[in-house]
Amino acid sequence: MKKLLSMLLALTLCAGMLAGCSGSKNNTSSSSDTSGESKGSVIKVGVSSDITSLDPQNHNDTTSAYMTRHIYSNLVTLNDDNEFVGDLAESWEYVDDVTVNFTLKEGVKFHNGDVLTSEDVKYTLERLATSSKVGHLTKMIESIEVVDDTHFTIHMNTPSNALVSSLFHSGAGILNKAHCEALEAAGKEVASEPMGTGPYKFVSWTPGTNCVLEKFDDYFDESRKAQNDGIEMKIYLEDSARTIALETGEIDIMLKVPSTDAQKIRDNANLELSQVPSTWIEYMGFNTSKAPFDNKLVRQAINYAVDKASVVAVATENEGKPFDNYIGSAAIGYYDVVTKYDYNLEKAKELLKEAGYENGLEFTAILASDTRSKSATVIQATLAEIGVTMKIEQMEASTFYEECGNGTQQAYFAGWIANAEPDNTYRALWTTEGGNNYSHYANDKVLELVNIASTSRDKAEVDASYEEVLKIISDDAIWAPLYTLDNQIAYNKDLKGVHNSPIGMHNLYALHY
Amino acid sequence: MSTNQPKKRSQFVEIWQRLKRNKMAMVGLAILFILVLGAIFADVICDYDTMVIKQDIPNRLQGPSADHWFGTDEFGRDIFARIIHGSRVSLVVGIISVSIALILGGAFGAFAGFYGGKVDMVIMRVMDVFLAIPSILLSMTIVAALGTDLVYVMLAIGISSVPNYARIVRAAVMSVKDQEFVEASKAMGAGNATIIFKEILPNCLAPIIVQATLSVAGAILSTASLSFIGLGVQPPDPEWGAMLSSGRQYMRDALHLTLFPGLAIVITILALNLLGDGLRDALDPRLKQ
Amino acid sequence: MYKYIAKRLLMLIPVIIGVSFLVFFIMAMAPGDTAKAILGEDAPVESLEALREELGLNDPIPVRYVNYMKGMLRGDLGKSYKSGRPVFNEIMERFPATLELSFWGMVFAIVLSIPIGIISATRQYSLTDSVSMIFALLGVATPNFWLGLMLIIVFSLHLGWLPSGGNTDGFASLILPVITLGTGCMANITRTTRSSMLEVIRQDYIRTAKAKGVSKNKVINKHALKNALIPVVTVIGLQFGSLLGGAVLTESVFSWPGIGTYLVNSIKAKDTNAVLGCVIIFSICFSIVNLIVDILYAYIDPRIKSKYE
Repeated sequence: MKKLLSMLLALTLCAGMLAGCSGSKNNTSSSSDTSGESKGSVIKVGVSSDITSLDPQNHNDTTSAYMTRHIYSNLVTLNDDNEFVGDLAESWEYVDDVTVNFTLKEGVKFHNGDVLTSEDVKYTLERLATSSKVGHLTKMIESIEVVDDTHFTIHMNTPSNALVSSLFHSGAGILNKAHCEALEAAGKEVASEPMGTGPYKFVSWTPGTNCVLEKFDDYFDESRKAQNDGIEMKIYLEDSARTIALETGEIDIMLKVPSTDAQKIRDNANLELSQVPSTWIEYMGFNTSKAPFDNKLVRQAINYAVDKASVVAVATENEGKPFDNYIGSAAIGYYDVVTKYDYNLEKAKELLKEAGYENGLEFTAILASDTRSKSATVIQATLAEIGVTMKIEQMEASTFYEECGNGTQQAYFAGWIANAEPDNTYRALWTTEGGNNYSHYANDKVLELVNIASTSRDKAEVDASYEEVLKIISDDAIWAPLYTLDNQIAYNKDLKGVHNSPIGMHNLYALHY
Repeated sequence: MSTNQPKKRSQFVEIWQRLKRNKMAMVGLAILFILVLGAIFADVICDYDTMVIKQDIPNRLQGPSADHWFGTDEFGRDIFARIIHGSRVSLVVGIISVSIALILGGAFGAFAGFYGGKVDMVIMRVMDVFLAIPSILLSMTIVAALGTDLVYVMLAIGISSVPNYARIVRAAVMSVKDQEFVEASKAMGAGNATIIFKEILPNCLAPIIVQATLSVAGAILSTASLSFIGLGVQPPDPEWGAMLSSGRQYMRDALHLTLFPGLAIVITILALNLLGDGLRDALDPRLKQ
Repeated sequence: MYKYIAKRLLMLIPVIIGVSFLVFFIMAMAPGDTAKAILGEDAPVESLEALREELGLNDPIPVRYVNYMKGMLRGDLGKSYKSGRPVFNEIMERFPATLELSFWGMVFAIVLSIPIGIISATRQYSLTDSVSMIFALLGVATPNFWLGLMLIIVFSLHLGWLPSGGNTDGFASLILPVITLGTGCMANITRTTRSSMLEVIRQDYIRTAKAKGVSKNKVINKHALKNALIPVVTVIGLQFGSLLGGAVLTESVFSWPGIGTYLVNSIKAKDTNAVLGCVIIFSICFSIVNLIVDILYAYIDPRIKSKYE
């Protein structure tokens, strides 16, 4: 019995140790508990992945941007008509093709009470240039010249239409120079104490659990001031768990709706589903530098052999729409001019025969997500009917991008969400200068047209150039576009002020009951 | 215990008699028998090309019916056919990975136990290192490094359970190596290898057989676990864990996608456990009533 | 006894070196370009080369390993490739959640399994015994992620009693993950307790005690239980390993913000440093639990104790 007792004692000791360890966690989460006391006024937002970093210049993903966009402000913002308007900037004007004068709004306050000056902007943009994650955005900036507290000039090294849109990227959120320099001097990361001019102050981030923001009372723009007391972003890695959390009221709004649950949410009388056309497309890409897809006929044949309706049914539960274009319909830079390939196995067979593959063809397609694996499995089955054997290889994202970048793959399944700057789509995906040209498509004409479009100040010329690019690449069939999916947001029917942005930059400040 | 042949045969008969009296074990054996038959004759029961991988999109996610006993999956494929063919994969992965573990672990354990001293020290310290990593984590790491091919999955699961066998075999060897019949064999001038393989190993078969039966079950579970987090067998091959993992997002509306592969796993593992328990009781004469 | 504990603690060191060595080399075999994984596909060649130099990726693997170990001695597990933050900090932020889950999972398993095992053994072949053994068998045979999903469907969705994930609701959010995680262990420990009790009960000294007219309860508590506990303690120690492994899956089902979710994401992102750090931390925990188990062993079984003193 004595030994039993000592065993119990040992167990209790372990328990004590463990309890001691978990104590530290309770401290961090207590902050969220207190903010939860003013119940109903803190809006709980469900998301599907964790934050990478709260340093705007150390991430390039939408989830982190949901938070940093609300903590920091940019110089410019995009209005509902897809036009850039001033955010921190009062106005700007082009002096010439490579020089832009900016005027800042007066008296904009940071969360610590400091007033925004041109020095903060200069500091931010110079620090941005050194960022490995988002530094490429502003590589057209040569220097920033501070005129006075509210006036500065940006000098560019080349004419570029992408300057303003790049300043809208979450990576260009304006930092407080003194605050950041103090943090760095103390050996801390900027991400450890995020502080900007946005409508919310940072409260806490418990990795894997939640991130809490609190309303900033001195926010400079009355019309965009927070209409709630705070935002708690809760992370649910599992799709079904996120939907259930919405149904049970654990969260008020869900930013990415799983396709399998969309209909269920529409059928639920207590919930609303908002959807707007997006810039998101999914496609099957071909490596045009490698056999068999260096042959245009083979690429066109596969295009004819893709049953997009079935793909949409399986991969998106019919939430998506079959799509023929190479850029999302809500994107700046979308033109309805592409060559369309309707599902036609006979035509596909003919083209394969013409290309010399009448006895069949075998290739491997790589991909890195479960949904894309479903699309591929559907296509695999229809290709089998015309004697084409497609092997599917699912891999980790990093390996996938490596293979695509090196051009060792034959075909691949990927997606693209165009941002507000068409050059980031056209140049990146379809020119030899692009970092995402996984089709390894080399066409001098396309590069020339993209160069014209990115520097010309004549809207008609820009449109004509981009249209021409779409015609060329769709005729060359460098991809088989599959489908597009609306941006869907689901929320409690009593929640007001829901904003659904086509490019996934949803504003949360207007949410309230 | 003795090594002469007639007695040994009667020993097996006796074990079988004892096993036969254990109803649960017989149920387990019967289930396994059916599963193995199903796996062998899978192509006769359901054709691979027309039933297992053939898609029928308009009839996707249908519940169980006369045409499709277990319903259809997200591609409209017959779930019953996929489970039958999936049993092949599960049983093969289970048996091969356990064989890998058994051969490697058995050899290490036998040498460690038999020679003792430094050999034992070195082998068991290396095994300690493997044992210090929870086995599913070790499999995950190996699969992550090598890739998600079926061969690597078997290798990963096999390697991660090598130390278990090494320990069991070592303990068994140590417990029998000083017994009279081994001493006798030594005295008769038998070589070490002969002694290990002819005298010692057959006499510690009992714990090994029991462990092997149980760890085929463990291997099937590990395969399913790896598939569940996306590191296992890849679609479109029918594997229970992969089916469960891809059916998981339809759980709320089409429970049969996860229910049936889940039940297949549960039943197989249950059968293996029942048999393993029965074998343990049958092989351990002390427990006979 | 202290000498024994000290010796066992010292023996941890080569094990940890061995574990780090093993995991480091496994991860080094993996294909994929680490520098590109960090900087992205569009990074220019010069910055890729600079980063490789900075991270020491150009050094031969043994040199990299030695450097890694040097860092580890200073409590530096390197930086996560994905977030750029120190791996040690990232792990420590998530570790308490995993410990909390594993600890309660184990408590759940032990508190239920030992009494059930004892009762089943003392009433062998009774209805209670059969029912509990069927449940134990089902418990062993059920994949825990599947159980977790079923529990979510029933208890969070249909009944709305418990949260479906996360750990922000205190005790309520622990219940389902703990049951999911603990059931397998509980089943295993129940079975071991039962069979080990049965074995002990049949031994001669118990028969002698019974024959002497000692009451049944006393026989069980005083004589049988103590001896039967030895294999049970072993199984508990072994189960802790599968419990830590199971935590990885349970965490992913319940969006539990622990080290398991972090590990799975790190494996998928090929974040070598993070994977190494997690596996090493898991292994250290597991080794410490094994040490505790061995010490308990020594307490329970005087023969083992005397061997070490």
